[in-house]
Amino acid sequence: MVQPGSQVLIGLEQKIIPHWHTYWLNPGDSGLATSITWQLPAGTSAGPILWPVPSRHKQGNLTNYGYSDRVLLLSAIQIPADAKPGSSLPIAAKANWLVCEEICIPQQAELNLTLKVAAQRGPVNREIQAAHAALPENAPWPASVSYAQDKLQLRIANPELVAGKLEEVWFYPFKWGKLAHGAPQAVSRDGDTLVLDLQAGDAPGTAGETLEGLLAVSEKSGRQTLTRGFNVRATDTGAALLPSGTSSAAAGTDTSLLAAMLLALAGGIILNLLPCVFPVLSIKALALIRHGAHAHRSTRLHGLAYTVGIILSFLVLAGLLLLLRAGGAQIGWGFQFQAPGFVLAMAWLMFAIGLSLSGVFTLGNSVAGLGEGLAEKSGYSGSFFTGVLATIVATPCTAPFMGVAIAYALAQPALHLVLVFASLGLGLALPYLLLCNWPLLQRCLPRPGLWMERLKQAFAFPMYATALWLAWVLVLQAGTDSLLIVFGGMLVIAIAAWLFDSTRHFATSKRRIATLLALALIIGAYVFGYLGLKPQLPAAQGASKESAGQYWETYSEARLQALRAEGKPVFLNFTAAWCITCLANERVALNKDKVINTFREQGITYLKGDWTNQDAAITQKLAEFGRSGVPLYVYYPADKHAQAVVLPQLLTPEIVLEYLSAHP
Amino acid sequence: MFLRHYALLTAALAFAPLSASAAPAVDQPAPAFTANTADGKTISLDSLKGKTVVLEWTNHDCPFVKKHYDSGNMQGLQKEAAAKGTLWLQVISSAPGKQGHVDAVTAARLNSARNAAPAHVILDPDGKLGKLYDAKTTPHMYIIDSKGSLVYKGGIDSLATADKADIAKAEPYVANALGALAAGQKIAANNTKPYGCSIKYE
Repeated sequence: MVQPGSQVLIGLEQKIIPHWHTYWLNPGDSGLATSITWQLPAGTSAGPILWPVPSRHKQGNLTNYGYSDRVLLLSAIQIPADAKPGSSLPIAAKANWLVCEEICIPQQAELNLTLKVAAQRGPVNREIQAAHAALPENAPWPASVSYAQDKLQLRIANPELVAGKLEEVWFYPFKWGKLAHGAPQAVSRDGDTLVLDLQAGDAPGTAGETLEGLLAVSEKSGRQTLTRGFNVRATDTGAALLPSGTSSAAAGTDTSLLAAMLLALAGGIILNLLPCVFPVLSIKALALIRHGAHAHRSTRLHGLAYTVGIILSFLVLAGLLLLLRAGGAQIGWGFQFQAPGFVLAMAWLMFAIGLSLSGVFTLGNSVAGLGEGLAEKSGYSGSFFTGVLATIVATPCTAPFMGVAIAYALAQPALHLVLVFASLGLGLALPYLLLCNWPLLQRCLPRPGLWMERLKQAFAFPMYATALWLAWVLVLQAGTDSLLIVFGGMLVIAIAAWLFDSTRHFATSKRRIATLLALALIIGAYVFGYLGLKPQLPAAQGASKESAGQYWETYSEARLQALRAEGKPVFLNFTAAWCITCLANERVALNKDKVINTFREQGITYLKGDWTNQDAAITQKLAEFGRSGVPLYVYYPADKHAQAVVLPQLLTPEIVLEYLSAHP
Repeated sequence: MFLRHYALLTAALAFAPLSASAAPAVDQPAPAFTANTADGKTISLDSLKGKTVVLEWTNHDCPFVKKHYDSGNMQGLQKEAAAKGTLWLQVISSAPGKQGHVDAVTAARLNSARNAAPAHVILDPDGKLGKLYDAKTTPHMYIIDSKGSLVYKGGIDSLATADKADIAKAEPYVANALGALAAGQKIAANNTKPYGCSIKYE
């Protein structure tokens, strides 16, 4: 049933047997897009096929863009305004398509359909509605393209995309030959801009030409992967090709393992220069100067032990990541910094190392022997643990860099991840390893003297600075109360250090008591500090950033239960700042006046749960609905005993309204 | 300091994945090749200097190839080319066991049955020539001028369908290109979209 003057969607469904595919608007290297020729009554018109997001089909060195398994191709039919209710409109369509596996078969079908004109809207077809919701939307972000020899660069300014946990990004040009269809698309980030480095195809664009296409963005949320399409229109701004941004997680790139390992090695070497690592390396070098008289063999073994310590630590990190990934955890950029407890511990560690460098205390023959203790130590375990320490110490300074490495590695198979991390560790260890194995280099080192002590003391300041920065990070994460915790903890650490050092010449038993007391102080401080931390993200940082006149409430289970007990209808939205699908749904559906007004009219309370930072309560709620990730949309109808209704993951205002009206 | 590192790291990563297979470009020297013909000869592009050469990638079972042979369009082009002294080379890059792969005898029999008249059939079962020219579809057409420059690459005409009825409605790219070349004019559409089945490389 159709209304006069309305637009109806008619779908052509292709059920494709496994391994065969039909083609998208731009079929790629070969193939042919499906076409539909309409025969319509006078006054009725049909729009073009509304293409869903395609996928890539590789065959040898050829790449096609198309569909497998099943696709629903929608076209919009305009019903004339003067169509008489009660009359019928015969719709005939001739569809032509090519279906290929390795060989190709052109097929066609003549299809007929009669639409009944009625004064009222008929029921909505769920499948068509779902297909409509999944259609690409016009990207609201500015995009630009630059052309060079046989390359082009697409830049899309979009903080949402950049912040997203992208599994894969692929740009499908609307026109044939603008891009080499199967060439790797290197995805990187430059600030808030997503950068795609592309290879020109057989009919390359020239300067000034606008590049149009579909950006398919796949993101992982829990165990599911969601793909969303955005129509992108990139104008040539005349800018030269810029260097790419920082690397990304997109698996669509074919970055070879070797390249990634070399990159990690270089990155590891650079780590040595970072303010929190440099002192460690320098102190090792100082130790080496004192070792001067020792045999080369011993020096070499020390270097080796240090290297092993670092690489093992990195492998532990890699293992940890793999475990987290296997658990389906949401790991993003600098994931460890989402945990305030970790930041707190790092701030204190930095402070403690600073104190040690300042000479407040010296860790003699202990595990993480630094400074003098280290130099005097003959065992290789000292060097080994210095390596471990160097890795730990490097963590806060390298978070931005580690984020990149982690993001890349997470998108790779486990073996790649492990190898990349091992390379990173080797890079970090390399300068000292070389120094140990190359007597010539050792000779370049200056003579020992008092300057070494002064230098070591000076190195305390970058440590204090790092601690300061971490304290600031913590305040952002857990509010101003955490200031008291972080500095209170530092006070306790200072006392413990003093206690530990001032008793170093006491008898062994007393010394032991003092050491234990110092340890207890530190552990106590951490436990109290950790318990005292209240992770709270200011709203401005989460996905729930909204202006005044807010029409939703923050989700809490208690609030939900209270509303349900009163028999009030509730709409539940679980979202996250890094979930593009969630944000897209809010933009195209949930934030539309139509929907907001309906919520208001029907007295529906709109609860929004922000899963940007993992929230156990929300995770549990998601699990109740058998989900491990966002988005999740649930509607609780007014009746106290009514069943909750789960909405699809891709929304349009119509879908939302339909679900609301279907369950009054 | 961090920013500097970022730039350094990414520069390395960005350049890593670029491994382009250089496709032959129009108005550039055509890639030189030596290939075996179905009648047991060896043919090299160098030895054909002075003649216009047409390369036609084909697969007799492909519906798009059938469109142009069943309608007589392809044979017509071949005969016209031969009359002007143009050397027409049919290339079969289908790998053994795949659609369109034929031995020398079958290739000749197919052409005589279709009344087709290419100057030679090149058997390219290992796909070397196809990959050299970055040929992707059947049909996929290339024209090399008498000086050895690639002057045309792309589709046989402008309507990408498997329907014979569309031939008359299409802009006949290859016929136009050969006409322009013979008249000493510039080829208007010299780089077009090839359409058809994918070439069945091994």
